[in-house]
Amino acid sequence: MFYLATYFIALSLIFVIIRLMPGNPIDQLVARLVLGRQRGVAFSSVDKLYLLYIDKFGLEAPGHEQYLVYLQNMLSFNFGISIMYSPSTVMEILIGSLPWSFLLLFPSIIIGFVVGNYLGAVAANKKGFIDNVVFNLSLFLSNVPYYCLALILLYVFAFIYPVFPVSLGISPGMPGFSLTPNWIMDYLYHYALPFLSLVLITIGGQAIGMRVMMIYELNSDYYVYSKQLGLSEGKLVNYAYKNAILPQITGLALSFGSIFGGSLITEVVFNYPGIGLTLYNAILRQDYPLIQGCFAIITLTTLLANFFMDIFYVFIDPRIRAVYAGEKA
Amino acid sequence: MSILSAENIKAYYKLLDSDVKAVEDVTFSLKTGEILGIAGESGCGKSTLAATLSTVILPPLKLIDGRLITEDGKNIFELKEITLRRKIRGKYLALIPQSAMNALNPTKKIKDLVIDAVKAHYPKMPKEEILKNSMKQFAELGLPSRVLESYSFELSGGMKQRSIIAISSLLNPKVLVADEPTAALDVSTQQAVLNLLVSLKEKGIVQSIIFITHDIAVLRQIADRIMLMYAGMIVEVGDTEDVIFKPLHPYTQGLISTVIVPEPDIKEKVLTGIPGAPPNLKNPPPGCRFHPRCNFAMPKCEKEVPSLFSKSGRIVRCWLYD
Amino acid sequence: MSKKFLVGISILLFFAGLAIIMPWFMPDPKDFVDVPWEPPSSERILGTDLFGRDVFSLFVNGMNMSFRIGILAGLVATAVGVVIGAVAGYKGGNVDEVLMSVTNVMLVIPTIALLIVLAAFLGIRNEMLMAFLIGVTSWPWAARSIRSQTLSLKAREFIDLSRMSGLSELKIILLDVLPNMFSYVFMCFALQMANGILSETALSMIGLGPTDIVSLGMMLRWALLWETVRLGKWWVFIPATIAITLLTTSLLLINTAMDEIFNPRMRRL
Repeated sequence: MFYLATYFIALSLIFVIIRLMPGNPIDQLVARLVLGRQRGVAFSSVDKLYLLYIDKFGLEAPGHEQYLVYLQNMLSFNFGISIMYSPSTVMEILIGSLPWSFLLLFPSIIIGFVVGNYLGAVAANKKGFIDNVVFNLSLFLSNVPYYCLALILLYVFAFIYPVFPVSLGISPGMPGFSLTPNWIMDYLYHYALPFLSLVLITIGGQAIGMRVMMIYELNSDYYVYSKQLGLSEGKLVNYAYKNAILPQITGLALSFGSIFGGSLITEVVFNYPGIGLTLYNAILRQDYPLIQGCFAIITLTTLLANFFMDIFYVFIDPRIRAVYAGEKA
Repeated sequence: MSILSAENIKAYYKLLDSDVKAVEDVTFSLKTGEILGIAGESGCGKSTLAATLSTVILPPLKLIDGRLITEDGKNIFELKEITLRRKIRGKYLALIPQSAMNALNPTKKIKDLVIDAVKAHYPKMPKEEILKNSMKQFAELGLPSRVLESYSFELSGGMKQRSIIAISSLLNPKVLVADEPTAALDVSTQQAVLNLLVSLKEKGIVQSIIFITHDIAVLRQIADRIMLMYAGMIVEVGDTEDVIFKPLHPYTQGLISTVIVPEPDIKEKVLTGIPGAPPNLKNPPPGCRFHPRCNFAMPKCEKEVPSLFSKSGRIVRCWLYD
Repeated sequence: MSKKFLVGISILLFFAGLAIIMPWFMPDPKDFVDVPWEPPSSERILGTDLFGRDVFSLFVNGMNMSFRIGILAGLVATAVGVVIGAVAGYKGGNVDEVLMSVTNVMLVIPTIALLIVLAAFLGIRNEMLMAFLIGVTSWPWAARSIRSQTLSLKAREFIDLSRMSGLSELKIILLDVLPNMFSYVFMCFALQMANGILSETALSMIGLGPTDIVSLGMMLRWALLWETVRLGKWWVFIPATIAITLLTTSLLLINTAMDEIFNPRMRRL
């Protein structure tokens, strides 16, 4: 299917581009180490790790062999050993950070979607003052980059009025993960600001979009006709809402990638231990296996999310369902 | 025995810089059991009038003045929204809109609309009963039962039109207002729709019909009386045969002479149109709105709007018949 | 004139003015001019940073750089998008299918992730290269919208006229289709420029921007590295934050205003 092919292409793209780029660190590293080994030069521990890596992933081998090994590894989630956190494998680290990112990402998308669309629908329906307020506020909010809002929130609520902590996901000294109310409270306390950074902007974006779609539906012929048949305002708004939300879902699928990207950087601002922070640290320390692994996971998540939203859409829009039913018959 | 009586209806479109005086001083009455045709060219205000009658008047349209009286003497325009919803819309007066193609919700089945429409008036009626009754009514109107289970995009244009007619007449409204029901259809479907409408009245599903169109030939087949509109005002009302063969108003005369009749001597006749164009309703001409194009215009026509004069069963808005 | 357009253009011009003119009057941003961590004063509008550099100088030079990268990235993205979109839209058929498949694949891959990895693996990053990379990863949006414009233009009569008079397809695209789409191309560019500025900021913030430059994104990066938030030295990052927001908002406002002008359906009654 399309998404499978895309994932495949994304991974290959990375492989090709990195290897092709002049002065890319992997080649340099390999060259230096291989040469050094041949000459019997002494190595640091980091270098030793790279040697191991080169052996295991056959980086000395010629190009097309490397490619096959690469694909095999990527597709079986064998990303190798992290340089920074050795001997932990990249996969272990990713599995550790993923839940944090997901806990931040998915609730904010869902709540942002629900609240934002509701506000947009109300604004379109009520018009006048409420409409003005919602529209202008949402317009502004939707255009603020996630990390900028993060910085501002951080400054206001962690410095000026220190309500929330400046960083981290959980207070130092707390266990990594547990379900005690104590832990949950502490987590929420740390969670609030990053969550707000994402949710507010999502709400703004959804409200703007939904408002436009609702206005379109409220002016449509079927709305007028149904009203002429005597249906109540509530029922009519319900009709309009259900029709307006369909393109919003498509829009959400498309913007998932950028929301995810924004959340990564937001994590960095807050020192929140998700994939974003992991990637950031990996970049700082030049932990290439970890960087590649992060990219693979991020891309995979985005593609999966798009995939599921596409399938979901088929179920809720009868027009698309008919197309598929027709094809199957 | 007038089932619906309109008095001095005035409705304008309120725009930023000016008003479009779309419907001006419209007065008529609809008798029980009759089919009244409203004819006129594009932009004469017929559809605006239809919207006004349906009581769903959305901005920028605004009802400035007028009364709409039911057979019990109540003025519809003064009723509260709740009463309008429960008792009038769909139940006393139902509208068949101009573009049936778009009048159906694309993401809902026909039966969903039917259920919602009926429940809006009889909230306690169970779904099964509603479906049973509507299947019967649809069948009686010649529509197969699969229509109810379909989405609007699964139906052809003609089917959609007939479904709309069926839905609008579902609650047995006393008055059915059909706005250009035959406009976008081929001749055979046109005939089917006309037959459908007539059978609705004959079977007593509706009592009276207002048929709005620009096609006078169609009205000749179906209407008992014809009312002509021009530039937002009524210019002539009378029995169908009278209006068509003995038109009184200069506009009607011009209009009738443009109808091509398939008779042998038509080839020798020179087709005359009505010179000029309909006025811009932001700034309609003073006095009679037709006077700039009228061959019989008198000085009085420029100054005063003619009132509706009665002449042997006909009503004409022209100073010639004072 | 549309209110939105005026607001958008004025903000944009204001910042452009700052970015173009002010750097001439400011000391070299890398110079150490004063005591570190000086809050804003009448002498130094935005005070000094950790190293004692003039923050306002950093700010306007940074804005200059952000503008440059944004414009460059926008140009690249728009150029690629226009070519692909116009060819796909005009030719139709198999060419269209292939190009659209490629576009769809590129659309779904998360751009930021791609950029991050590419930037991380580059040895040396300079301004041109970064702008080029950003442009080359964000063309899918432009391609899509240009393609739909081309499709609707294709159906118009004057294209048929040109075809009948025997003009080559390339000439038709260049002489007939593109000039009529100028407004849309411009709108595309506005969006791509906004995207370019945002991408550069994001990359710089995590340390993957062009090495050794001053940009608004870099200012935010320093804010992170030097714990300026925790120390409360707001003048280092707040102006940059606001500038980025306002800049992208102004570009988007201009885009929306142009959309309303060319698409009357978008206007609210």
